[in-house]
Amino acid sequence: MALALKNITTPDLGGAPDVTVIEVLVKPGDKIDVDTPIVTFESDKATMEIPTTDAGTVNEVKVKVGDKVANGSVLITIETGVATESAAVPLAVKEPKQPEKSVPEKSITATIEEPKTVSQSDVVITPPETLIEQSMSDVHAGPGVRRLARELGVNLASILGSGPKQRILKEDLQEFVKSQLSQLQSGVNAPSLSALPVIDFSKFGPIESQKLSRIKKISGNHLKRNWAMIPHVTQFGEADITAMEDFRQAQKAEMDKQRVKLTPLVFIMKAVVASLKVFPHVNASLDATGENLVMKKYFHLGVAVDTPDGLVVPVIRDVDKKGLTDLADELAQVSEKARNKQLTPYEMQGGCFSISSLGGIGGTAFTPIINFPEVAILGVSKSSYKPVYQDGTFVPRLMLPLSLSYDHRVVDGADGARFIVHLSNMLLDIRNLLL
Amino acid sequence: MSIQTEVVVIGSGPGGYTAAFRAADLGKKVILIERYTSLGGVCLNVGCIPSKALLHAAKVIDEAAELSECGVQFGKPTIDTKKLVEWKNSVVAKLTGGVKTLAKVRKVEVMIGVAQFVSDHEIEVTMKDGKKEIVQFQQAIIAVGSRPVTLPFLPEDPRIIDSTGALELNQVSGNMLVIGGGIIGLEMATVYHTLGTDITVVELMDQIIPGADQDVVMPLYKRIKGRYKNIYLKSKVTKVEAKKEGLYVTFEGEGAPQKPEKFDRILCAVGRRANGDQINAAKAGVTVDDRGFIAVDKQMRTNVPHIYAIGDVVGNPMLAHKAMPEGRVAAEVIAGLKHYFDAKCIASVAYTDPEVAWVGVTENEAKAKSIKYAKGVFPWAASGRALSIGRSEGLTKLIIDETTHRIIGAGIVGPNAGELIAEVALAIEMGCDAGDVALTIHPHPTLSETIALAAEVFEGTITDLYMPKKKMDKVG
Repeated sequence: MALALKNITTPDLGGAPDVTVIEVLVKPGDKIDVDTPIVTFESDKATMEIPTTDAGTVNEVKVKVGDKVANGSVLITIETGVATESAAVPLAVKEPKQPEKSVPEKSITATIEEPKTVSQSDVVITPPETLIEQSMSDVHAGPGVRRLARELGVNLASILGSGPKQRILKEDLQEFVKSQLSQLQSGVNAPSLSALPVIDFSKFGPIESQKLSRIKKISGNHLKRNWAMIPHVTQFGEADITAMEDFRQAQKAEMDKQRVKLTPLVFIMKAVVASLKVFPHVNASLDATGENLVMKKYFHLGVAVDTPDGLVVPVIRDVDKKGLTDLADELAQVSEKARNKQLTPYEMQGGCFSISSLGGIGGTAFTPIINFPEVAILGVSKSSYKPVYQDGTFVPRLMLPLSLSYDHRVVDGADGARFIVHLSNMLLDIRNLLL
Repeated sequence: MSIQTEVVVIGSGPGGYTAAFRAADLGKKVILIERYTSLGGVCLNVGCIPSKALLHAAKVIDEAAELSECGVQFGKPTIDTKKLVEWKNSVVAKLTGGVKTLAKVRKVEVMIGVAQFVSDHEIEVTMKDGKKEIVQFQQAIIAVGSRPVTLPFLPEDPRIIDSTGALELNQVSGNMLVIGGGIIGLEMATVYHTLGTDITVVELMDQIIPGADQDVVMPLYKRIKGRYKNIYLKSKVTKVEAKKEGLYVTFEGEGAPQKPEKFDRILCAVGRRANGDQINAAKAGVTVDDRGFIAVDKQMRTNVPHIYAIGDVVGNPMLAHKAMPEGRVAAEVIAGLKHYFDAKCIASVAYTDPEVAWVGVTENEAKAKSIKYAKGVFPWAASGRALSIGRSEGLTKLIIDETTHRIIGAGIVGPNAGELIAEVALAIEMGCDAGDVALTIHPHPTLSETIALAAEVFEGTITDLYMPKKKMDKVG
């Protein structure tokens, strides 16, 4: 019996609008079994290997390194034997939709997590040029709607139809264009500023070109966007942690025995949660319309971790419910995972507020960039003894410099200052945390 | 001195005049160049329209004869072919005159002459009297169509005609060989047979109308097999000897006779060739392939961005109803609209008796492309309407995507199949699945019902047929 050709397509990527092919693992003529990895994708969160759903011989590879693909794009065509034809099932989702499951990647690198709403807004209107030869024959829309889409330069593949059997109606198209426009107006997806000039550095001396790491490239885009689109204010402050440090040092021997590294950071995390409870709108996000605040009833904190490849921000969940040693434990584990590139996308999602601590290195203060969709981030610098005027005399106190960047659309200046004062008070006497 | 224009359209067939009129309506200054004195191209003058006029006459004659079975006897008709041709020509004149008027009211300037590119912005038009004019244009639309292919070994003889000659009805008695069992050959065979000619058809492939599925063609094949003298499939003509008493034809192939046969006339209908090679396109830098076709993008643009091409000259299928929307798109793109030729399907119709029509994916094509499909077939023997017009041999077949249940194609054979197929074209464009069509109430009793009934056959909800066990006729 004749062999049938079958397309192997990109599986549902769980909302990621498009991903880049960074590796093609098969070539025409290769015999592949079900679940043989065929390509490696990189999304804004992670890299993942995509396995084939059907066995057969690779007939044609339709993608190359650097291609952007979306759900349903054909990756390869294979010749399937008749025997496997009956086994042909719709392509299963290999990246878990349920985040709890572990991801079948070999290695996962990741960066500052990004919420789904932003991923969707990243669906940029495709310029009409690319539509010229693109067939819309697979799209469920009538000829009138297809023509309108061509005129507007909209790729109908990115619209979910609301008509019977998901037919794309004219109204769906209008709604899509409206939402894209409102995002443009509200600043999301704003066109980049004029391009920076190209400079030939070799004129000035010997140079060498080095590629940015993947994490740096990806996080760079997020940082640029967050920096440009969120009105940042950074409030500086100092917390007297003399008593806290005394307590920590006193516990150190005992903790070392339990192999727990009780760092100042875990105290800061607890203090931040206490302050978030008092200032709930700092534990919030703006919704997509920019008109409502999403108030969070949970306390997940992102902690920036420096890795050789760049910065990642794993999230510690339910900090309010965990003790200091538990937190210290988890922090150590997560940092280790981050350095070994073992963080899953889920472990970098869902944060309410981030902490970036450079206290181990030095410096007096810095202005951290808010990790969207959070509305505030705390920068922690190196503590040092300073003379503090108390009761008519200068006393040496261990002072911790704090830098709180907040989204001025959500937090106003007075509250920013109140937050940092509250946080400092929490750290001044950690017994306050019990209140 | 040269004539200046914004848009020039070469060829005034359905594609060309549509392009010219649309461009004019969108505010462009347009010149339409036509080499013949009568506008309308092959379709209006020597194609679709005159052939349908003659087919109408043939149909009435046949139906009158068939009515004898119902107890209604007409006398044998006397046929005045001269008058019939005059009537046909009057239909053509009405339409071509209409095109001329439509050009006039739109202020589209019509030039009668042969167009040749001399540069990428100039065309030389040679008039009948030998006078030459240069037309300077900003944009051009090439709509030069196609011409009948001739077989190289055929001798020069007035008894050997092509589709154009056949429409003159110079002689309708005796016997005629039709070379080519495609749409054009069989339509003319229908006319000549009814008017009294003995017909023999020779076709290279293993079925007549090779583009359609065999089951759809079969009712037509059965009917004409009984009426025509011979149908030679998988056969070809190798030699034609013109003698005074007749044309002696030598065949080769499975179904063909060993000895040469004598015919009074030969109609050569073996296909059409694109006219891209007739306009000196190289002078404009437009690429023409060795079959005369000009490649275009989905906006009908050739390799030269300000020169467009539409209709037969850009590729198959060579159909007026493909050329017209293409012409519209070209004109609209020139006028700055972001339009594309984006049709999901184009129907084909053979106006034979019975008519054969198909649209979208055929079963042959689905098999070749490994598309997983199912079908719903409704035989007209179970249609009250078909029986009441005395024609039960028809068939309506829907080709359905097995996974989505969307209708992706159809084949219909029977009287009026050409009218019926449009519903399926709409269903395909709108992405209807079989259930949508089955649930659409079709008037009873009509032939259009057979489409809904075919959908019901697929759905397994049919009550007008009894289909034990098997829910649907699955193929795959």
